Amino acid sequence: MSRPDRPQRRIMGPQSALTDFLASHNISAHQIRLDADARRRAAGQNPDGTPVEGSAAATEPTTTPAEDEAAIPEVTGRRRRTAAAAAREEKSKKQQKAIEKIKASKKFQKRKRASGSGDDSDYEEDLARAIFERTAPLPGQMENCAVCGKRFTVTTYSRNAPDGGLLCGPCGKDLAKAVDAPKKRAKRIPGALTARRQAMSSILDGTFKLGAKSLATLCIETLAKNIDLAEDLGDLPEPVIDKIARKLSKHRLLNSQTLSLFIQPTAEQVHIYDCAKLTADDFVRVFQTVPHLKKIKAYNAIHFKDEVVDYLLSRDIELEDFYLHGANLVSESKWKEFLEQKGKPLRSLRVYWTDKHFTNDLLALLETACPSLERLKVSHNEQVGAEGVKAITRVQTLRHLSLHLRKHVHPDVFVALLNSIGKNLETFSIAMMQGLDNTVLDAIHNKCRSLQKLRITESEVMTDDGFERLFKDWENKGLRFISFKNCRHCESTSPRQNPDNVGLCSKGFKALMAHSGSKLQSLNVQGCRHISASAFEEVFSADKVYPELTELEISFCEEVTDFIVGSIFRSCPQLRELNVFGCMKVKDVRVPRGKILVGVPNALGMVIEGTED
Amino acid sequence: MAAHSSDTCNSKYVTLVSTEGFEYVVLREATLISPTIKSMLRGQFSEAKTGRCVFPEISGLVMEKIVEYFHYWYRNQDKTMVPDMEIPVDLCLELLVAADFLGLDKQT
Repeated sequence: MSRPDRPQRRIMGPQSALTDFLASHNISAHQIRLDADARRRAAGQNPDGTPVEGSAAATEPTTTPAEDEAAIPEVTGRRRRTAAAAAREEKSKKQQKAIEKIKASKKFQKRKRASGSGDDSDYEEDLARAIFERTAPLPGQMENCAVCGKRFTVTTYSRNAPDGGLLCGPCGKDLAKAVDAPKKRAKRIPGALTARRQAMSSILDGTFKLGAKSLATLCIETLAKNIDLAEDLGDLPEPVIDKIARKLSKHRLLNSQTLSLFIQPTAEQVHIYDCAKLTADDFVRVFQTVPHLKKIKAYNAIHFKDEVVDYLLSRDIELEDFYLHGANLVSESKWKEFLEQKGKPLRSLRVYWTDKHFTNDLLALLETACPSLERLKVSHNEQVGAEGVKAITRVQTLRHLSLHLRKHVHPDVFVALLNSIGKNLETFSIAMMQGLDNTVLDAIHNKCRSLQKLRITESEVMTDDGFERLFKDWENKGLRFISFKNCRHCESTSPRQNPDNVGLCSKGFKALMAHSGSKLQSLNVQGCRHISASAFEEVFSADKVYPELTELEISFCEEVTDFIVGSIFRSCPQLRELNVFGCMKVKDVRVPRGKILVGVPNALGMVIEGTED
Repeated sequence: MAAHSSDTCNSKYVTLVSTEGFEYVVLREATLISPTIKSMLRGQFSEAKTGRCVFPEISGLVMEKIVEYFHYWYRNQDKTMVPDMEIPVDLCLELLVAADFLGLDKQT
C-alpha cells in the first residue's frame, strides 16, 4: 500500500521522442491511442455502419471501462469509478450536443421533410444519431473531406469541419490558418503621416506633381508589382518599355529573369538601369539576342567583365553609344582592345566610377581609334590626369565633354584644350576641379561659339571680374544650362570679407543673366554667397522676364530675402522649383500655385504651393 | 440639323465608343487630359461635330477603366497626395497600350 502523500512512482519503458514532445505539451499519446482503439472497437461492433437503435448506448459501456482503465491506471478503486462515471457523462453530453447540432442542421431538416414524418421525435432521434455515427469515421478508414470532397485516410489528427464531418490534411491546415489568422496583428495601413512624408520626399527628389498620376504611370506601377506574372511585354512602344525598365530597376527587381522582358531581338538600344543582380552571362545574352545593338547603357555593371568584352569583340555588333557605370572588372588591356576594334562607329563614350583601369593611355587612343566620337564623359575616375586631358585636346570631333576627375589638372591644360576644340563644344562640364582660374573663363569666352551647357564647380580661384569678362560681349548664344555651384571665396578666419571678389559675385551674376537669361532653363548658383541683394533685385526686377527658366538653385546665397524670392516668381513664369536651403532671410513667402519652393528654414522645411494665383 | 450638331458640339459631355459598340458618356472636360481625344474634338473632324469618338481598337473592358480614370483625374486635378487608382493586373498591358495611344503618359 502506498501512502497517499507519496508521489506515485511511474515505471515506464522507453518512450519515443514524439511521446516526450507531446507530453511536454500536455498531450498524452497514450490517451490518443486509447481513444482511437475505442473508436475502432466500436466500429467493429457496427461494421456496416447501419444505424442500430441505441448503438451509441451499446458501445458506451464496452468502450469506457477499457478506456478508463488504460487512461488512468494509477487511480485507486473508488476514485476510478467516479472518474469513469464523470468521463462517461461528459462523453454522452458531447454526443448529445453533436446530435442536437445535427438536428438543427439544414441537411437534416431537408431529409426529415423528404421522409415525410413530421414530428415523430423517436424517428428524429434515430435519424440524427445515424448521421452522427456516419460523421465520425474511424482512424484508418477512408472518408471524404467535408470541404473539398477528396477521399483521404482518417487519422487521429484529422480535424473536424466546422459543420460536421472531417477534413483532409490540406483543408485541416487551411482551417487552422483561418482560425489562427485573426490573432495576428493587422498590418498597419499607411495613414496620412506616411502619405505626407512620401509627398515631401518626392518634392525633395524633384518628382513632385500636382494632381493624379498619369494612367501610363499607374499601369507601369501595377506591372512592376506583378512583374513575375508577365511573360512578354508584347509590342509596346520603346519609351513605355524604357519606363517599365526604370521602374523595375528602382525597386531593384531587375534580375536574369526580368531582363529577358527588355531585350528584344529587333531593338537597337538596351538600357539596363540596374545590373547589380546580373551576371556576366546575362550581358553575353544581351549581345546574343540583340544583333543590331547600337546603344547600350548599363548602370551598376559590376559583372561587365573581360569575358563580356571578349564576347562583344567576337560579334559584329557596331556600338554607337557606350555607357558603362561601375564596371571595374574590365582591365586596361581589354579597354584598349575594345577601343581599337570597336572604336570606329563609336559616337558617344561615357564611363562612370572606375578606379584602376580607365587610364590616360586609353584617352590617348581616342584620337586614332574613335574618329567619330562626339560625346565623352569620364566621371569619378581615379586614374585620368593631365596627360589624359592633353590627349582629349586632339579629338577634334568632340561636341560634348564632361569630366569629373580625382587628380589635379593645371588650368593651362584646360586652356589648351579649349583653344583646340572649344569652337565646336556644346557641353563643357568640369566638376570638382579646384584651381581652375580666370584663364579658363577667358579661353571659353574667346573660343566657344556654340556652347549650350556650362558647368564649373568648386573653383575657389576664379574672380567676379573673370565671370563678367566671360559673359560680356560673348559671341556665343545664350546658354541653356549653367552651374557655378560653390564657385566662391572660402576663408575660415574672415568668411564675410571678400576683398578680391573671388567667386561668382554681383557683377558676374548680372552679366550672366544679361547674356543668357532669355534662353536659360536651369541655373545653379548654389553657395555663391557674395552675390548681393541689390544684384538679385536688379536681375529679377519687375521689367525682366526669363521665359524658359524652370529650375533655379540659390541655396546658401545669404542675401536672398522674401522680397527677392517673390521677385523671382514674378520674373520666371515657367519656374517649377526654387531651392533656398540656407537662405536664412527667407521667412514667409507666398508661393504661387503649382510652384515648389524647397528648403525654407522653418519647421515645415518646404512650401508646396500657395493660394496665390 | 446644323443647329442640332452645334448643340452636341457644345455639349458638356462626349460619347466614347468601344470595339463592341458600347457607349460611354463622359464629361468633356475630363477627356481633355488625353491629347488624342482633345485633338479629335477640335477642328473639322466628324468627332468634333458630333461629340462622338469611336475607338475600334479599344475593348469595352479597357474603355471602362479609361473612363474611370478620366473621372478620377478630373476629381483629383488640384489635389496633393492623391491615392492611386486600382488597376486590375490582367488588364494592365492592354490598358498600357491604350494609355499610350490616348497620350495619357504625361502629367498635366
